[in-house]
Amino acid sequence: MTALLVAALSGLAILAVYIAALSARVSADAGSFSDAGGDLPGWAVMFATAGILLAGIDLPAHLALIGTYGLQASHIGIGLVLAAMGGLLFRGRLWLAARIAGLGSPGEALGLYYGSVALRVVVLSLVVIFALPFAAHLLSGAGGLLETATGGALPRTAAIAVLAFALFLPAVIGGWRASVLVLAVQSALLLALILFTVGFPELIRLPGGFLSVGIAVPEGMAADRIPGVFQYSAGIGKDHLPEGIFTTLGIASASLSLVGLAISPGLLWLAQSARPGREGGFGLVWLGAGLSAGILLLAAPFLAARLSAGPGPYAEILRAAEPLAGLALILLLILAGQMAAGFFATSGTLLVMRELVCRFVLPGLDAKAQRLAARIGLGFAFFALAVLAGFAPLFSALFASLALPLSLQLLPALLGLCFVPWISRGAVLAGLVFGALLVFFTEPPGLILFEALFLDLPWGRWPLTIHSAAWGLAFNLAVVLLASIFSKGGEERAHRERLHRAFAENRRGPAIGRTGATALWSLTLIWAFLAVGPGAILGNWFFTQPVFAGAEILPGLPSLMIWQLLFWLIGVMLVWWLAGRSGLGVTSDAHLRRISLTDPGLAMRGARAPDWIAAGVARVTGRLS
Amino acid sequence: MQPATERSDLPDPAARPDPARSHLMRLERHALVLAVWLPLGFLALALFHRGFAGFGAAWLAAGFGAVLAAFVLHVIVNAVLGTWFNGREVAVGAGAFALAVLALALFSLLSPGFAGSFFLPVAGGLIVLAAAVVIAMVTAFGPRGAFERFDIIRDNNPRDGSRLPHRGGRR
Repeated sequence: MTALLVAALSGLAILAVYIAALSARVSADAGSFSDAGGDLPGWAVMFATAGILLAGIDLPAHLALIGTYGLQASHIGIGLVLAAMGGLLFRGRLWLAARIAGLGSPGEALGLYYGSVALRVVVLSLVVIFALPFAAHLLSGAGGLLETATGGALPRTAAIAVLAFALFLPAVIGGWRASVLVLAVQSALLLALILFTVGFPELIRLPGGFLSVGIAVPEGMAADRIPGVFQYSAGIGKDHLPEGIFTTLGIASASLSLVGLAISPGLLWLAQSARPGREGGFGLVWLGAGLSAGILLLAAPFLAARLSAGPGPYAEILRAAEPLAGLALILLLILAGQMAAGFFATSGTLLVMRELVCRFVLPGLDAKAQRLAARIGLGFAFFALAVLAGFAPLFSALFASLALPLSLQLLPALLGLCFVPWISRGAVLAGLVFGALLVFFTEPPGLILFEALFLDLPWGRWPLTIHSAAWGLAFNLAVVLLASIFSKGGEERAHRERLHRAFAENRRGPAIGRTGATALWSLTLIWAFLAVGPGAILGNWFFTQPVFAGAEILPGLPSLMIWQLLFWLIGVMLVWWLAGRSGLGVTSDAHLRRISLTDPGLAMRGARAPDWIAAGVARVTGRLS
Repeated sequence: MQPATERSDLPDPAARPDPARSHLMRLERHALVLAVWLPLGFLALALFHRGFAGFGAAWLAAGFGAVLAAFVLHVIVNAVLGTWFNGREVAVGAGAFALAVLALALFSLLSPGFAGSFFLPVAGGLIVLAAAVVIAMVTAFGPRGAFERFDIIRDNNPRDGSRLPHRGGRR
């Protein structure tokens, strides 16, 4: 297995370097190294987005959750339908903002639209959380798995270093374009590996499995039902819930956290870098909400049922049946971690270089110097990634838990930027502060820090079985709405309205109309209530003990799983409607009217470095010369 | 990586000079083709491995099915992008096919028991693949155009008269 695995991983690394070298040769223009000139092919963005949605949830951890909690945990796979909806809502408008107003990245768009440096700092902090602890946590898992699979022949830290170097090479050679092309190719492989790894054991009728023995959850756990609408619990670490933590509110809030993945700065920037067309919307509908969510709902329980002893032993069982099947399982789990880690580290570094270093620290660099700076930045980032993953896995895991819920806290700001002009800068900032505090103190970093410094808190992680993402978003939205009542007018509003007028003037695709929009959002709310909300509790027995039948039916699958599949299919139709009929999935650059959001009188403008940064740089460069 | 205020007018991708654009398109097509062949190639390899390990001809048929699926997707990519198989792809494909035919012939002659178990499914699979290539060519170029792609002898000695319409006038 070791030789086969090393050969396969080496082959993938060589393929990545090959694509990167071709890309570097073709895109000799230094200016497009960091953003691909906003000209990424639609198919690559489509595959890459689907791959990141699947890999970014930490696939091995998700399978482990299903192995522990059963179908209640796999229910959060429907969250990818919500995530696709979230991605669709914002990608088109952000893409348009990049083309008509030059707001080429999420941080730039939010910073210039609201005229706020603080928002830029918030987005950059989020980018760093995704690029370092979150990516390091995923890479650490991949390294650990590689150590297990090679029987210790490749120690964990060495494995992490090798994986990080294999990720660094294509990024530093070919930049953003190469990274996305490589990611797209790997995403196609990932999807095939999942289907093969799940389908092969069932085809050869390997003993055990989901259909014959189900998922071997601990004693007392509700393996094939949701344990209530919510439970009065102080949270993980304070209370033990024997039937499981994924109540309907737990599922809804965990699904919301997946929206945080879809609107993470890296994925939004990927959408902004795409060529105009229908592919982005198509990808979110059929590969994101369709295939990826379907895989999590239908295939993940089958895989999790066989992984009860861990990936290593199961890979050995598969290998005995077919060596390449054993390899496929290990490759799948390593590739998932590696892809997400590479994407967030690369996109994060390039965003930091673009928005911080080349804008404020060294604003006068020409295109070639900017490319060099980006390459140096990538070197530092991947080194830090390897160090964090190798030597601080606990720190990485703790701070990685903040990434998705904190990313979701950008939702009101993005809603304001894309649709709601009366959401003001002050409201967004106040909401972000409250939302981030709620997230911080309902996730391990805040709890550990506070309890170590001061006193024990009465709640733990996910109090009332509600994910931190939802706690943060509830307070965030409440504060944003309240604050916007008092600050929705004024000169700032006029500035914001300019972008919204430009959106309306440059609108493409079919108009859905007021009736259509009402129908769409009403159906979406009803769907959300039944699919991931409190209504999902009906799925526990709906198909095995129908209300009026008065008898028990044995459909061959647990009732909850049928409910999940039914609402997944309905959800895909809704996302399709959102993308196609309402025009949110279509981008076009024909006859765009450009505007400039750099009016005098607002806080953010120009590329001049702040005095304190300029003075600091001058002091260092003065000494060097 | 210019700041936004300096890039309110992003370069229009369609306005790029043609050679760079066509190189870019070729790179993207190449990556897309890799995205098609890599997963299906791995799948085919695993299925062939199991088939040759003696688990039945169905696995071999499934392996050829995976190769066929990859070929069909490749043809679809060509149709969508308005391209055809390039020289390297033809060389790799023809080389792999020739190698497979040679291996089948050698193993059938030299390895006892091989022909009885594997000759029919493998030969059948190879024939199906060859037929798929012919069907794809006929669909793309028509019967005459497909034949002309192999008509090397006629191309070797191009006389002026061959350009006349009543003698074919192909060039």
